[in-house]
Amino acid sequence: MDTVVQLVLNALHATSLYALVALGLTIILGVLDIADFAQGALYMVGAYVAYYATEAVGLSFFLALPLAMLVGSLLAMTNYVAVYRPLRRFSGATTFIAALGLLLILQNLALLFFGADFRLVRAPFSGVRFGVLGATWTGYQVFIAASVAALLLLTWLFLKLTPIGKRLRAVSENREGALVVGLDPFRVELVAFALAGALAGAAGTLASGVNAFDPSIAAIVVIKAFAIVIFAGMGSVPGAILGALIVGLAETLTGGLISTQYAELTAFVLMIVVLLFRPRGLFGAQEAKL
Amino acid sequence: MSVAGERRSFWPLLWNVLWIVLGAAAAIAAPHVFDSLTGRHMLVLIAINVILVAGLDLLIGGAGLLSLGHSAFMGVGAYASALLVKAGWAFPLGMLAAVVAAALVGLIVGVPALRLKGHYFSVVTFIVGIIITILLTNMVDLTRGPMGLTGIPFATIELFGWQHTFRTIIEKVGYYYLTLFFAALALLLRWRLGRSRFGRALSAIKGDENLAESVGIATYRTKVAAFVIAAGVAGLAGSLYAHYAVFLSPDSFTFVDSFDLFVMNLLGGAGTVLGPVVGPTFLVTVSSLLRNLAPALSHVVYGVILIVVIVVLPHGIVGGIKRLGARLRAGRGRVEG
Repeated sequence: MDTVVQLVLNALHATSLYALVALGLTIILGVLDIADFAQGALYMVGAYVAYYATEAVGLSFFLALPLAMLVGSLLAMTNYVAVYRPLRRFSGATTFIAALGLLLILQNLALLFFGADFRLVRAPFSGVRFGVLGATWTGYQVFIAASVAALLLLTWLFLKLTPIGKRLRAVSENREGALVVGLDPFRVELVAFALAGALAGAAGTLASGVNAFDPSIAAIVVIKAFAIVIFAGMGSVPGAILGALIVGLAETLTGGLISTQYAELTAFVLMIVVLLFRPRGLFGAQEAKL
Repeated sequence: MSVAGERRSFWPLLWNVLWIVLGAAAAIAAPHVFDSLTGRHMLVLIAINVILVAGLDLLIGGAGLLSLGHSAFMGVGAYASALLVKAGWAFPLGMLAAVVAAALVGLIVGVPALRLKGHYFSVVTFIVGIIITILLTNMVDLTRGPMGLTGIPFATIELFGWQHTFRTIIEKVGYYYLTLFFAALALLLRWRLGRSRFGRALSAIKGDENLAESVGIATYRTKVAAFVIAAGVAGLAGSLYAHYAVFLSPDSFTFVDSFDLFVMNLLGGAGTVLGPVVGPTFLVTVSSLLRNLAPALSHVVYGVILIVVIVVLPHGIVGGIKRLGARLRAGRGRVEG
């Protein structure tokens, strides 16, 4: 019983980070039909920003977090303006190639500049420990869960309440309609990328204190997050969050209780089985909605 | 198209024949122009990739189905052929078995996966590709897993009493011509299927699946058929690869390799006749030219080339040239008219 609780707790904080990346991906998929694999690279850059800001510059971890979000969103906006926008009239296949190219470039630039050594950031509150139902949670894990919850809430409020957030939802619900009433797609799309980049950067920074990383984390994270988006249903924000938790739990439980060899297999098979019965994902509506 | 077919004029036909003869001559002369072992190795790799991309193009260029797990079917074919020929089967039978095995796996995957649309379909093919790689890695008793399968026999062909074993480690030209023959066959198959009733049904599905369904095309069955054919062709390429490398490891059939095939298809020009030749040639050449750089730097340059090509030529290299030609002709027509 204790092991199960411990595994669930571990899964909870680890996969909540996938949820942030998945949320960014689903926002971009809603506004523009782009499977933006470069988001994985922004996660990786976020982790390195945390590493260099705290280890080399000596900044506090709490300052590194907003800095990583800023860097992530600037990079995402650059990707959009330089690559995705010129390709906006073309099919998903063409933009997907561009996304893969960006991921390749950023991941290998990181390899050139940061090296292939695994890094781990010294996380705040690591010494603090909480006992929950016979299992333990470190203070940093609680901090991750709280930060993720806060970021998700802020994103939700941003989409629901601010004028630009409303425009973003309008474009993702009905692109033609939104254009007819005079919304500027460029600004809306730019904001979607900035938002997704900030979320990915934050996820990378938060993860940098618990999971050792190297540049190859970029591809691993985005593949998992993209599979979660599809499994949950494209364009569904609560779906992205719940999907991340379900996949994470399935993976951690098989890994911990049966065999780590088949942990990934279980998660993937689960996704396929769900898609067979719900072809638009677990929480996907008939029309995608944010 | 049928109207053009009825009054087929002489000159375009001659033009096409000329191109085919020139292309065939270049392909046959290539191993004597690039006569180093590395050059010939690259040519074999290009020919094998041409087969794979010609099959994949039936899905991507033909039906607009973005399949992202294609190299897994190559892996199934490679292991099937390697294991059977190792167990004593003749090479041509092993090759046939590779096609059947890969097509069968394609059927098992395609039947559920093709119920899905768009990104959902792509992600499922992608995940299936990963699952197949995991299975190849974990079924150690059969595949020897990550240690790799060694001792795969060279291909031996027997024709009317004439027998030849392709010892590909030292002698690559003969095997290159063998793969070239199958590459030509794959291109011919892709071209014929594209112009058939089946190919027109696929392109109707690509245009608007609901509309295709409403005019009486059995869209689901057509897509499954295309998927099975593409998987079978990949199995053939896998068999050719297995008896060329005479060593197999699951690392050769990962999702990264599937991405490479996808990129070759799109960069060459999806849905064009020559795209499946140009894409692999371009990418295999570029990555071998970059091999002198540090690996990380070469990947960066490769990524930049990828993005530049796709931004400048969003319809791929062949698609871009065709469009340019059409625009020039239209321009000249206006001047003359």
